[in-house]
Amino acid sequence: MKSKGLLGSAPLSDRFLSVFVYVFVIFVMIITLYPFLNVLALSFNDSVDSVRGGITIFPRDWTWENYKVIFSFSGLITGFKISVFRTVAGTVVGLISASMLAFTLSRPDFQGRKFVSVFLALTMYVSGGLIPVYFLIRDLHMMNTFWVYILPGLVSAFNVFVIRSFMDGIPFALQESAKLDGANDFTIYWRLILPMSKPALATIALFLAVGQWNSWFDTYLYNGSSEALTTLQFELMKVLQSTTSGNNVDIHNSNMTQMMSTVSPESVKMAITIVVTVPILLVYPFLQRYFVKGMTLGAVKG
Amino acid sequence: MNQISKWSSLALSTTLVAGLLAGCGSNNDNKENTASPSANNTGSESAAPEDTSPLTLTYYSEDPSPNWANMQDEIGKNLTEKTGITLDAEFAVGDAVQKSSLIAASGEYPDLISAKQSIAKFVDAGAVLDLTDLIDKYAPNLKKLFEGNMSRLRYSDDDHAIYVIPSYNGIGQEYFNAGGGFELQHRVVKELGYPQIRTVADYEKAIKDYLALHPKDENGNPNIGLTLNADDWHMYISVTNPAFFATGGSDDGEFNIDVDTQKVTYHFRRPEEKEYFKWLNHMNAEGLLDPESFVQKYDQYKAKIASGRVLGLIDQDWDYGDGEKALKAEGKFDYGYGHYPVTMSEDVKEASFWPTGFMAGSGVAISVDNPDPVRTIKFLDYLASDEGQVLMNWGIEGKHYNVVDGKRVIPQDVNDRKVNDATNFTKETGIGLYNLLSGHYGDGVKDPSGNYYTTSFPEQIVASFNDAEKETLAAYGATTWKDLFPKEEEFKVKPWGAAWNIPIPGDSEAVVIEKKLTDITWKRIPEAILAKPADFDKIWDAYQQELIKANVEKAEKIREDLVKARVKLWSE
Repeated sequence: MKSKGLLGSAPLSDRFLSVFVYVFVIFVMIITLYPFLNVLALSFNDSVDSVRGGITIFPRDWTWENYKVIFSFSGLITGFKISVFRTVAGTVVGLISASMLAFTLSRPDFQGRKFVSVFLALTMYVSGGLIPVYFLIRDLHMMNTFWVYILPGLVSAFNVFVIRSFMDGIPFALQESAKLDGANDFTIYWRLILPMSKPALATIALFLAVGQWNSWFDTYLYNGSSEALTTLQFELMKVLQSTTSGNNVDIHNSNMTQMMSTVSPESVKMAITIVVTVPILLVYPFLQRYFVKGMTLGAVKG
Repeated sequence: MNQISKWSSLALSTTLVAGLLAGCGSNNDNKENTASPSANNTGSESAAPEDTSPLTLTYYSEDPSPNWANMQDEIGKNLTEKTGITLDAEFAVGDAVQKSSLIAASGEYPDLISAKQSIAKFVDAGAVLDLTDLIDKYAPNLKKLFEGNMSRLRYSDDDHAIYVIPSYNGIGQEYFNAGGGFELQHRVVKELGYPQIRTVADYEKAIKDYLALHPKDENGNPNIGLTLNADDWHMYISVTNPAFFATGGSDDGEFNIDVDTQKVTYHFRRPEEKEYFKWLNHMNAEGLLDPESFVQKYDQYKAKIASGRVLGLIDQDWDYGDGEKALKAEGKFDYGYGHYPVTMSEDVKEASFWPTGFMAGSGVAISVDNPDPVRTIKFLDYLASDEGQVLMNWGIEGKHYNVVDGKRVIPQDVNDRKVNDATNFTKETGIGLYNLLSGHYGDGVKDPSGNYYTTSFPEQIVASFNDAEKETLAAYGATTWKDLFPKEEEFKVKPWGAAWNIPIPGDSEAVVIEKKLTDITWKRIPEAILAKPADFDKIWDAYQQELIKANVEKAEKIREDLVKARVKLWSE
């Protein structure tokens, strides 16, 4: 590919447009990035100093104190392990089950195709409600187990449909020719369809991973009392609450002196946001190339 | 090929992972299965009065306790040794009310439940035991603790059972310092020669005079006379509650209740309060009120205080404390605030310290699933005993405190750790972890040995004042800010406690009406304050009309019935 620099030898009007686009995009980048940088700066700023306001993207009074407070709470390490584990396991298992179902549904020769699709689609509109689901999980004896993070959300209708519509775009003739070459259905799925669906899989993988990583409500509902199974989000929620409850005058009246020596809830909140966000942000670069491919693929096909 | 091997390795690792998970899961199941029957067994065996065989009780609390160490702290071990009881605790994180509802609906209750307002759901579900007889038979210390207040523990007028041992409010709790009233910077009163600050006129004059002398700070930014904090719920603290305090009312939420007749009025309808808001309107017209009062966010409010430019506040210390802390960190102690009992006129008493009596309130309940309620109540009784109280608050003698000449003293090195290494200290010692488990004495109450039950007492408050504060206090002839305020003894105890502590049934009409009233008030009050003085009366009248249209009288009636029911329940 020949590259002639960004604005190369294009006609004047095109160049003008490019300049405009770049300025616009940079502007958008700044306003989307700013809140994050602001949080980052605040998380490294002395909490007493932060009260004075006026912090933008650089800390004024550098400190590790906010992070020290967070990491002084036990359970964070276990929480981190469980979170990583459920993210990896939940994503992989979820991806496999969703893509298998999607593959089945994408085959025109599958008889119950319509029925299963409708049945699946129903779950997107009607759900059981909190308490029935809670009872179900309890009666399945999934309370206080790791399984509760993986099994209930194993197949999501939305994910299945996204993958299926992508697979629908792959010519069926390809599968027929593979069959002629002696491949069985599983081989077709595993060796042919899956590798070709990577852009869709990457998208869903990201959905799943972010969902798993951010999820704390299932811990709260089902595993709150078993310390070995709590997730990072849950542990951080605890930290956050304990710093905010310092403001609760009724109980903590007698702890005024202790309160004064700790950092402010706002600063802890900022530091927690960073601790929670950074690990999952690291996933994006690895999946990025599939996204670009996925987008162009879709564009060509219309 | 490359692709295939990648995918197959992925599949392999998935299987491995799944296998591992299966391992985890079943392990946990086993643990649970073995634990619960043994607990049940020991439970049924406990016939002897001094049974200290191991018993594990599950405990659920709506309040977080991040330093909970599974009773492996020093106090926890001590408690287990004495009573045989270990607590398997779960503390709600996030939306505790939702969690409580789930547990109440699930039909599987923890042995001990501390669910604050949600306790009503457990009572409705028949999940908690009536403790009246248990306390009577097995809990001499709890009986002693709640002596004279037993009727205040009863659930409701229809149901006189005792479901909850109040553990949030300490018995005989005394407040050593005032954190409310109207605030002025120390430098303001100092420069003006410590004038009397008793009425809104005094307060206004002090701000006005100081502003005339120093319109700008050292950087040339204008000083601000008075700023209010009206961001969301702070509106109550800094804008609407001061209206009843300044007119001699005590805190009964959004209502004013006559102490003798128990007549309930939506407090904004009192003619005195019109005068208060008229005064704020006047402050605004004079340019003494910060024009940003009703638009600033909480962080902007704090930043403004931290800049030192705000001369006067009408707020509670915990609400503006962050800003003042920043000033102190800079060494600007004379920019800190003193608290003054300001009212409309000198014949009105500031009622911040109007006594409520023991308010019972939230606490711990024993569920119907509890394997051994008798041992449980004995455990709670032990915590409420003199020995238990000292253990919970002070720790272990010789380790966390010493007795010197009959006085309990915390050694310097222990105290240093308490302040500088609070988290680890709490985890290791357990001091402060057990206070919400059972009934307890409040600050300022002395045990038979003449020592305070809790570790905070008046001398500490005085010691925590900085020099600027001490100087101002001395000039007004006081040792704490509370000395400036009318004393508890000057008021007649409110026989209903406080109206904000009386729950309204969820299906009551009052819920909807009161929401509407708040919406109207929060819109109209700022409008009235910021209006031209000539328009104030007109806006106020329109506001009053709107309240009546929103059925304020009905809400007052419902509240009045509730208050009267409470008085009846508590005084029988």
